[in-house]
Amino acid sequence: MTHRIEITLKNNLFDAEGQGICKKAKNYFGITLDKVRVISVVTIDKNLSIEQLKTIQNHVFTNPVTQISSFEPIDIPFDWIIWIGYRPGVRDNPGSTAMEAISDILGVKFAKDESVYTSKRYCIEGKSLQFSDLSKIATELLANDIINQWKIYSKNDWNKNIGIGYIIPKVRLNHTPTVTLIPIEEESSLEKISKDRNLYLNPNDIPTIRNYFLRKEVMEGRNSVGLSDPTDIELEYISQARSDHCNHNTFRALFRYRESKDSEIEIVDNLFRTYIESPTLEIKAKKSWIVSVLWDNGGVGKFDDNNYYVITGETHNSPSNIEAYGGSITGIVGVYRDPMGTGKGSKLVMGGYGFCVGHRDYKGELKPKLHPRRLLDGLIEGVRDGGNKSGIPTCFGQVIFHPGYMGKCLVFVTAVGIMPSKVAGEPSELKKTSPEEVVVMCGGRIGKDGIHGATASSDIFSENTPAGHVQIGDPYTQKKMHDFILEARDKGLIEFITDNGAGGLSSSVGETARFSNGCEIWLEKVPLKYEGLDQWEIWVSESQERMTISVKKENIETFLKLSQKHEVESTIIGKYVNSGKLHITYNGKTCAYVDMDFLKSGFPQWEFDAVWQTPEERGLYEPVISEPKNYELLLLDILSSPNISSKEWITRQYDHEVQGGSVIKPLSGVYRDVYSDAAVIRPVLESNKGLVFAQSLIPIYSLIDAYHMTAATIDEAVRRIISVGGSFEHIAGVDNFCWPSISFDPKENPDGKFKAAQLVRSCRALADICLSYEIPLLSGKDSMYVDGHIPGKYGETHKISALPTIQFSAIGVTSDIEKCQSMESKFPEDLIYILGVTRNELGASEYYMNLGYTGINVPKVFPDSFKKLYKALETAINNEWVASSHGIYRGGLLVHLAFVSMAGNLGIDVDLNLVPCDSDYRDDTILFSESCGRFIITIAPEFKDKFEKLFNGLPYSFIGSVTKNPDFIVSGKDGKTIISLPVSELRSAWKKPFGDLI
Amino acid sequence: MSKVKVLVLTGFGLNCDNETAYSFDKAGAKSERVHINSLINGDVNLSDFQILVFGGGFSWGDDHGAGVIQAVRLKTHIGEAIISFIEKGNLVIGICNGFQCIVNLGLLPGLDNDYKTRSVALTFNDIGNFRNDWVNLKVNPNSNSVFTKGIDQIELPVRHGEGKFYCDDSTLNRLIQNNQVVLQYATSDGASAEGKFPHNPNGSLNDIAGICDPTGRIFGLMPHPEAYNHLTNHPNWTLKREMIKRGEKQSQFLGIKLFENAVNFFKE
Repeated sequence: MTHRIEITLKNNLFDAEGQGICKKAKNYFGITLDKVRVISVVTIDKNLSIEQLKTIQNHVFTNPVTQISSFEPIDIPFDWIIWIGYRPGVRDNPGSTAMEAISDILGVKFAKDESVYTSKRYCIEGKSLQFSDLSKIATELLANDIINQWKIYSKNDWNKNIGIGYIIPKVRLNHTPTVTLIPIEEESSLEKISKDRNLYLNPNDIPTIRNYFLRKEVMEGRNSVGLSDPTDIELEYISQARSDHCNHNTFRALFRYRESKDSEIEIVDNLFRTYIESPTLEIKAKKSWIVSVLWDNGGVGKFDDNNYYVITGETHNSPSNIEAYGGSITGIVGVYRDPMGTGKGSKLVMGGYGFCVGHRDYKGELKPKLHPRRLLDGLIEGVRDGGNKSGIPTCFGQVIFHPGYMGKCLVFVTAVGIMPSKVAGEPSELKKTSPEEVVVMCGGRIGKDGIHGATASSDIFSENTPAGHVQIGDPYTQKKMHDFILEARDKGLIEFITDNGAGGLSSSVGETARFSNGCEIWLEKVPLKYEGLDQWEIWVSESQERMTISVKKENIETFLKLSQKHEVESTIIGKYVNSGKLHITYNGKTCAYVDMDFLKSGFPQWEFDAVWQTPEERGLYEPVISEPKNYELLLLDILSSPNISSKEWITRQYDHEVQGGSVIKPLSGVYRDVYSDAAVIRPVLESNKGLVFAQSLIPIYSLIDAYHMTAATIDEAVRRIISVGGSFEHIAGVDNFCWPSISFDPKENPDGKFKAAQLVRSCRALADICLSYEIPLLSGKDSMYVDGHIPGKYGETHKISALPTIQFSAIGVTSDIEKCQSMESKFPEDLIYILGVTRNELGASEYYMNLGYTGINVPKVFPDSFKKLYKALETAINNEWVASSHGIYRGGLLVHLAFVSMAGNLGIDVDLNLVPCDSDYRDDTILFSESCGRFIITIAPEFKDKFEKLFNGLPYSFIGSVTKNPDFIVSGKDGKTIISLPVSELRSAWKKPFGDLI
Repeated sequence: MSKVKVLVLTGFGLNCDNETAYSFDKAGAKSERVHINSLINGDVNLSDFQILVFGGGFSWGDDHGAGVIQAVRLKTHIGEAIISFIEKGNLVIGICNGFQCIVNLGLLPGLDNDYKTRSVALTFNDIGNFRNDWVNLKVNPNSNSVFTKGIDQIELPVRHGEGKFYCDDSTLNRLIQNNQVVLQYATSDGASAEGKFPHNPNGSLNDIAGICDPTGRIFGLMPHPEAYNHLTNHPNWTLKREMIKRGEKQSQFLGIKLFENAVNFFKE
């Protein structure tokens, strides 16, 4: 028997969700809806008595103060109704918590085939609405066809007694789990099967795989356990492990690099080893605070004697591009498992994000799956729910708009954790698995989620087939697991812990078993969401919120009991052994038997041709522009350009203060509305030490040279850290590469060799700058293939490649948070200083972009001279001589002076003749050049002498004063006032594009 | 005299337990973070404590109304124990998700000595979204609330999507008459917010941010006092520091003041 309860707000209560839909329908599509009321629908697929139903209606599903509910369809006025529910197999988080509540209050259990499903019914009023309007709202605003099903009812369609009926999106597979043997007589047969089954085996790998299974001793070993030809589960395992995602084949490839098309070839063997690993190890030898790098789920640095911090970064681009909300929530919740799985496990203390999307108001002819506006809304909401519901503050983030991200958006997520330096008396960063320890899978259950990533096509959907490849993160389940794991860790119950991300059990078990040198896995023990999964599917499923943990036999009982207390599902699925084999059985029958060392042997290295074309060769040049006459209008226009303007609406949706350690928040200033340089938190409440964290993202410089793009990005992150009071001596980095495909193909990727050269150059800059600044790369991620084929106006498609992009995250430790500094000017009469040299570097600047030019003079980094300045500033802040400190980033000097002034709500009066430059420049060059290595500092007049003495010999200059009168005044080179604007006018221009969004 | 013992609930998506326990400790108490199931299964006994804290977070994901399922779970299993805890003269505070929970338990507003009926609610913010910002709060000097004694105004952060206080007119009138309205959203100069965003961040009726029961021993509020446990938590602390350096006086209450009041209640 199925029951359905409908719940809605009382008629006199404001329906904020409904109002939001009216607003979006108007803004997105110009459709006027008079009123929308939202009804929540809970469908219970379980037999319950009338009395039981009344109990749950009154105590769980209806708030007597605000809501009404009914087992009959609620009669609300409407012209149209849209119903939206999940497709089968899509994670229904409210459905699962409803089951928990019902079980609890009624003392009943849900059988395997019983469940609760939630959906929503929207009652829409509007004059002269057409079916096509409703269809647009359903498909482009409320539902996503990948995860949702929907129905639209007109007044005539609606039967008020039947309502939506009883819709049960239950997964029914009617399939007996089957292991399939893959014949390997011919390489071509293996190749064909790889294609048919979406295995993505690299053709170059196929001979190695085939030769392995044909080896005599291998065949004999397999015979002894009842196997002959390789099984599908074995090939899936190999395919996952060999994927670019897991194995970083691109970064480990051999590059034939040429500085220009006629230059000699330089061989770069392995970008990762050359430009990431070896510099980091070199720096590690010098810095005692670097604890653990380059092998675990995250890097580890020393916070203090008793605590280590953990950091890692991830991207989640492809899934987010298809299902923005699901993709980004899965991304953030997923990256939070990495610190949980670093060392013996760390507590999450901070998150960060970066979104790169097409322009929010894009009005062109291209039709991406999701319009950038809707895409961005989904990304924002996904990170919001994922972060907020995890109880982890989201302290820093950025958004970049550029048409290059129309093909595929970028979603960067960063996670920071903290763990005690010792766990049960042992170093927390070390771990291993040993024979006879049990393999435990902890957290969520397994379904078809995420199998083969986002490649499956949507035409396989029917009423009861699961929407397989889509994942929706469940922060609630994960938060419970997080709390459980920390308690288990502190009791010394965890020997090894790692998360189940890409590749699922295949990766996590495969990797952990390398330490003990083998494992036996009993696949039938693995808890499933629904029956009918093939063995290989269980093995590679990417169902979320799962960790793989190794537990000593003698501890397993305590471990499972603790797990029960936290209501976290933990299941023994096998044991670690020292057999040298990965051995998987299902009900006692072997379905995989592979040598542990097979993956480490004999696979061919990938190879790429990389040919650089200098900016000059590509025909770039400086534009010919005469000096602007109206600098006021120019400033206001740049402040209201999308990439510069305020995005406060995003920041405020993110809880950035939970855990009670917020020191420098994402927004600063008297009105708390201007972006801080970096975030500072006090992760150990009892200590006055702080973690300083910032990210930077300036992909636009790739238009000129990815080397300088990368250098500038790292330099910006470093300045952000220094600006708030971080220490130059302790800065660690995380590199997140997102690159378009670099494989040359004359038709499909004609500029592949150039993109490969950009990658090589970017990696070189990474190594050069990190070595000079002594920044170890604690963690990193590369995400290739950021390209998309987007339909145009005439039925054609366009390949759109993203800008070569790197997000650089920097983290440091400050010894005394009470000495940290913020960016707003604080007192009238304070002196304004510029630190660093302004050069003629307008290439790809916000100024040029606003005028439609690229130019060629890209900003460059001079690390050796910059770092002297940074160390001096660190001293000045430490000595408390500085009243405000702010780096000069995207937009240049003028924009950032405006930020300092807006944040303090105080005026400024500055003279461009005083700005330190390396030559005599026009006003527009000084105002808009984006030269690296610069800061705006204000100090109280009493510190003038000390401050100037400290900077003696370094490039710095006094340029004017903070004024009480809130007017923003700039005099040009000729001594005349070129800008005189009230600060309030700057603020309203800056908030113009997105200021109304909440 | 032994320290006042504070029980801070944890588990099931609650997430402010560490800083809440820390803040109570800093206020002079001895706090213990206790998993909801440990309280239910009897591993920990409520009667060993003097203050019970329902803290912030997303219990059960807030999926069916914030705090609802937590209230169902507690009422089903230890409803009576909580009532007798209150009857003994102990203190209860509900913060954010905890406020939502105790309202659903019926511990607030506690009119006519009824601690079981839901008669007020915290529903979706009028802005339709989660919001994290600081607010200024005006304290009702005539309220019985133990927690707000000696405080006239306090700045605290709000971080919620469902914080709009709502009830019917007659309940509201009684709350006002009884001086059970403890905290109201105000502008930065202390004037009533009068429903205006962003001072009143969620559209709460009568700008209500926190209420107590008639005895003043049960207190619920949407803002987070535990998130203002250190001077550097304030969004303008660097400016305040600069002002102090230049001889300007700055006085302010940390959120911990509320907890100190609670601890001192047992010392009087």
